Amino acid sequence: MNNHATQWLGAYLDGELHGLRLRWVESHLKECAVCRSELEALVGLRELLRESPAVEVITQPERFAAQVGLRLPRRQEQPPAQKAFELGWRLVPAGLLCALVFVQAVFTIASVVQVALSLGLGGDLGALLFSTPTGGPSLLDLSKLSQASLADAVGMLWGLVQSGGALALLPALYLCLLAVIGLLYWSWLATWWARRRHQHLTAADNEF
Amino acid sequence: MQTELELIKQAQQGDRWAFGELVRHHREGTINVVYRMCGDVALAEEAAQEAFIRAWTHLPSYKPRSPFRNWVYRIATNVALDTLRSQKETVDVESVDIEDSGQRPDELTETRERGERVRRAVLDLPPASRAVVVLREYEDLSYKEIADTLGIPIGTVMSRLNYARTLLRQTLTPYMEGI
Repeated sequence: MNNHATQWLGAYLDGELHGLRLRWVESHLKECAVCRSELEALVGLRELLRESPAVEVITQPERFAAQVGLRLPRRQEQPPAQKAFELGWRLVPAGLLCALVFVQAVFTIASVVQVALSLGLGGDLGALLFSTPTGGPSLLDLSKLSQASLADAVGMLWGLVQSGGALALLPALYLCLLAVIGLLYWSWLATWWARRRHQHLTAADNEF
Repeated sequence: MQTELELIKQAQQGDRWAFGELVRHHREGTINVVYRMCGDVALAEEAAQEAFIRAWTHLPSYKPRSPFRNWVYRIATNVALDTLRSQKETVDVESVDIEDSGQRPDELTETRERGERVRRAVLDLPPASRAVVVLREYEDLSYKEIADTLGIPIGTVMSRLNYARTLLRQTLTPYMEGI
């Protein structure tokens, strides 16, 4: 390995070196006659290259632009139906977010009502809603869901559904809605990724 | 007077007049890039027109993160390379030279002869290195801009330039002494 700065001289001449590398090349040039000579040769080459005349363009700018204009193909406009579809497609995540917020709000309110009723604030209505005719688990048992194992939780939910309380289906419905929203979102995300990949591949195929 | 960005936005929406303004503005640089790449004026104008037509077609997908000029040069460089490939059998780079005018060398001025030798030396470079030299030496693009324009890493720009300069120095040493 030699200690010359030959490989960096082009970049140095082009003003593309910075920081430590620049300082190293500068200090090296002060000491090394070989590299100074190389740099002079590169400067000479640059001057020679730039002596070479640019093209004498035959066609006038207006004429050139007109010729290009005549050859421009008509752009393919998106049909209105496709535009509407694209807009709707982009609004899907926002719609799903709204749905999630709505579901959360509804079930939060429902939970508050449940707690109020369970405290007897609703009078007979509470007893009616929380009655479990077949003796299955009550809605209040759902508060224990978070501590239960998955099998127990499923068992409790199933028992509640079977018992047929008025609010029995509420938690199950809540979980179902969350699962559906999540599934829709992930499906949208997967489709978005697939479309984007397809567009990239198509663009690469058509790349100039 | 509208800025280039405004013209680009209008052209992206299908405004042919705005695109015409962009063509007028970048015509000379684009023709020069192609000319330096292929060495023939008529071919360069034709290829530059083709580059602008491709630019128009792909304009809706252009994002102004990099300068429009670099984007057009990228297209022009690719068109020039395509042209060189397709015309390889009919356009021999060696034939695009000075002596075809019928003049004897001693009738040419020294400067002109040198210019033509340089042009031929550049044309003799491998196309990939030639593109880098043209964009650096004649269009004054930075390494980063060249990398963006050609879609290659900056390290590759540097190595191609070093390689091209080594080849050019070997070819042009007799003429460099005259400077």
